[in-house]
Amino acid sequence: MPDRQKELLELLDRSGANLYTLLTRLTLREDVAEELMQELFIKLINSRSFDKAGNPEAYARRAAINLAFDWRRNRKLNPLGLDQVCEPASNDGSPLDKLVQAEELDEILNAIGQLNKMSREAFVMRYIQQEPYDNIAEQLGKTAHHARALCSRALNRLRNILGHNQSQSFVKETNNVKK
Amino acid sequence: MSKNDENQIHHRLKILSQIEPSSKATSRAIQRACEALINENKRRQGASTRIWQTVFKSPITKCAAAAILLIAVGYTVGRASAPQKLDLEELQVTLENSLKASLEPAIRQDLIVQLNEQWQSAFAAGCAKLKEELQQQVRRDLTEFAAQTLAASGTLTNQRLMELVQLIEAARRRERQQVAEALQQIEQEKIQLRNGLLVVAAQTNELMGTRQ
Repeated sequence: MPDRQKELLELLDRSGANLYTLLTRLTLREDVAEELMQELFIKLINSRSFDKAGNPEAYARRAAINLAFDWRRNRKLNPLGLDQVCEPASNDGSPLDKLVQAEELDEILNAIGQLNKMSREAFVMRYIQQEPYDNIAEQLGKTAHHARALCSRALNRLRNILGHNQSQSFVKETNNVKK
Repeated sequence: MSKNDENQIHHRLKILSQIEPSSKATSRAIQRACEALINENKRRQGASTRIWQTVFKSPITKCAAAAILLIAVGYTVGRASAPQKLDLEELQVTLENSLKASLEPAIRQDLIVQLNEQWQSAFAAGCAKLKEELQQQVRRDLTEFAAQTLAASGTLTNQRLMELVQLIEAARRRERQQVAEALQQIEQEKIQLRNGLLVVAAQTNELMGTRQ
């Protein structure tokens, strides 16, 4: 166990900042990302399959992505209370712009959450972490061509999901106007 | 989906990829994760440690075990090489006393040390948990207080607005009444003026008739 602790501390030292950035991007909240970061490392120290993982960084990142999307799903099921409402992480802009932008980012992240795990991981690495296809392929244990295809399919699926959401909201609005 | 929408998706993804947490928050998160890792490891170690492993860690206990072994060997050798039959009961009592005398203080000492360590670790964990709970409680209370204050100020504002509306309504009613009274007075004066004019006209006619 001390060996694993040492290994995880080294991992935290090497990739902690990247993992935290990834969690912040996927949750849009620094405080939640901080909580999830702790949860991630506690999961890793208790995980039996961590020792068997060939690439600890890739394993940790996959676990982080799963944790962040689980959090998003749970948040949708349990709406926020007043005490949980926090300022979303954003770079600049007026409060209204921030609000609109946060809603848009939420929408796209929820849509990404509906992708399957492999596509989601590839998509997040490509479009949110801006990693090259070769690197993605290496970390997923696939070829670069396969990684490219995964990302392309994920993007198509995302378009469909967002298009479907938009048409649904349009129908809702029309119904509201009729009423 | 149109090209425009696709561009919008890429635009949103670009914004997401540009989000960077502050360096302060990053270092705090790493620090907390590190602490969580160490605490979790301690907790797991504490839970999985066997009592015998703990007992045999101490050199005192090791010495005591060695003494027991020596006594047992001595007893066996003595018994094997004894010319006549030994008094077993006496030997048993002696052995018991000897074992008690050699083992009891060592085990007691070891248990005290062990208990102290457990108490200390439990106390430290309890303190951290208590602190966190206290923070959460304070945050909850503050939020509740803010909500209550907002609700109270809303109610007060509504009440003041109602009072203002009532005052304005009363003032308007009073003004209308005054206008009605003024109109009535004008009407009466008009009637008097008409009567006066009729009288003047009648007198004028009479005067002209007289002159002719």
